[in-house]
Amino acid sequence: MAVRFQYFPSPQPAVALLARGLAIVLALVCAGLVLGASGASPIMLGLRVIQSTFGSSFGLQDVGLLVTPLILTGLSVAVALKIGAWNIGAEGQFYAGAFAATGIGLFIPGPTVVILPLMFVGGALGGLVWILILTLARAYAGVSELITTLLLNFVGILLAYYVSTGPWLDPGGHALGATARVRHSVPEIWGDVHWGFPLAILLTLLVAGALNFTRWGYEVRLAGSNAQAALYAGIPFRRHLITVMLLSGSIAGIAGMLELAGTVHRLQGGISNNFGYLGIMVAVLARGSALGVLAGAALMAVILNSGIILQTQGLNTSTVLAITGLILFFTAIGDELAHYRIVPVESKK
Amino acid sequence: MDIIAGLLQTSILAGGVLALAALGEVLSERVGVVNLGVEGLMALGAITAIAIVTATPSPVLGLIGALGVGFGVGMIFASATVVLRANQVLCGLALTLMGTGLAATIGKAYSGMPARATFAPVAIPYLSDIPLLGRAVFTQNILVYLIYLVLPVTLHFIMFRTRHGLNLRAVGENPAAADAAGIAVQKFRFWYVAAGSSLASGAGAYLTLAFVPSWSEGVVAGRGWIAVALVIFAGYRPINAVLAALLFGAITSLGFVGQARNWPIAAPILSMLPYLGTIALIIVPVLAWHRVRRLMAAPAALGMPYYRDIR
Repeated sequence: MAVRFQYFPSPQPAVALLARGLAIVLALVCAGLVLGASGASPIMLGLRVIQSTFGSSFGLQDVGLLVTPLILTGLSVAVALKIGAWNIGAEGQFYAGAFAATGIGLFIPGPTVVILPLMFVGGALGGLVWILILTLARAYAGVSELITTLLLNFVGILLAYYVSTGPWLDPGGHALGATARVRHSVPEIWGDVHWGFPLAILLTLLVAGALNFTRWGYEVRLAGSNAQAALYAGIPFRRHLITVMLLSGSIAGIAGMLELAGTVHRLQGGISNNFGYLGIMVAVLARGSALGVLAGAALMAVILNSGIILQTQGLNTSTVLAITGLILFFTAIGDELAHYRIVPVESKK
Repeated sequence: MDIIAGLLQTSILAGGVLALAALGEVLSERVGVVNLGVEGLMALGAITAIAIVTATPSPVLGLIGALGVGFGVGMIFASATVVLRANQVLCGLALTLMGTGLAATIGKAYSGMPARATFAPVAIPYLSDIPLLGRAVFTQNILVYLIYLVLPVTLHFIMFRTRHGLNLRAVGENPAAADAAGIAVQKFRFWYVAAGSSLASGAGAYLTLAFVPSWSEGVVAGRGWIAVALVIFAGYRPINAVLAALLFGAITSLGFVGQARNWPIAAPILSMLPYLGTIALIIVPVLAWHRVRRLMAAPAALGMPYYRDIR
């Protein structure tokens, strides 16, 4: 019997999920082959990664530390995607949040119970300010947020580099190219993992709840899937676009604040391990579901941690970035192919 | 006057990177495909050029190698976005991540070394003796003339003065109509995306062979993204793109001049100028002149894959 491939507007969920899994496996196999060709044994490396990540509580703690910012940057990008906006600038908003939190932590005196929440709010506001003008430009002038948000990443990185090597450089001279240690830190919950981790999960569930069970969330989702229809139904598209993008920026800012106050404690040039860019990955893998954000963040955390474990083998963060790109590439292709179904061709009578 | 001549010379040199990458992006976007992998393609081109030049001290081979790598990677990108019709934004971001990461991984061995051979500036006889600005404009490396004169004029001619160019633009504006008129939409898209990617990689080679000239991680520093933004600013026209690149080159060189002359502004702040300038320049014109929006509009089918039949 003859068959043909037919395109369907929406993929079958099971096929889509399968395509996801295949894409990730295929990307990892490709990366393994390249590593193998360069002389390393991919299976040995893989075993080492698994052993050091899951074989000890230290390994799991490291993943726990990495997953916190990834959940939040992933959530940030995913929220914006809900209304059809690409926030590629989570990296910059992350830096802005860390910058604002550092400023508050270093220069406003007071007990931790007061200053820490202040830093949290400051971090969120930092991220919000970072995306504000671009949001207005998109909403009122139709300027693509995709490129403007990305360009501000470089400014954010330069800003953090500037203050941490210039005006805010540690006066005690304990750290090179970093600010003094911020006294107020997010308390730990398990080993090195701090309270930011449950907070990130809580925030994800809150946002998902708001998107799924409130009128606002319904309107946002409708506006995201069909802006014309939303306008026709009297939904204030522009207002929702602005609130969603500002929310997205704030979440990325919070990620930066938590990374600073929970993990790094000093503002420095490379405080983000490309968390903003990896957040795009998380959001894409999540396919718009909150549970997906958590799962995607966990996967990216393990991959990022593998890169750190394998650093002695000549791998580094750039290799991880390349592998991430490979996963994204195959995922995009897999997503498209999942739209096709094999249907039998009926013989003409 | 020396300052202005120096500024112009650096602007032309710095703008060349952006101009070449932007011309590549114009090709791609005119047939309706957004290529957000420019940043990654530039990184790959930059490291290819350095690797070749280290092995055989010929900058021309380095450039050709980079163009070739760009073309090959562009064909992979086009296979995904044009043939398989995968999401262009995602594939572009993926290409940027892969290219940047791969180039940085390969580049570890070449980091910090100056390029063994470069495209050196050549003074054009007579023209470079023109008083005031002659030296600034006509003592440049050979690529500058290619990028600022030959390439944009050729592309403009092809795009707006030939049947082939009309077809090319039709593919980006209304692929269904183009298809009905017998134009091979997918072929146009595939080869122009590959060619555009090739130019983007060439821009990377220009960066490491003529402008910086050495490799270091992060040498591309967002120039690929600036080039993408510049195409919007230039209204998807080759000659405008080159002029816009010159303007952006001027913003960049302002930072250099500031550092060289010890302006009381910190270097990182000056380094922010090109990014902030780019953002300002794509927002302000749209706000200022509403009519510009229609005149400079993107190709109508930009970013949308073409399905001949969805049954």
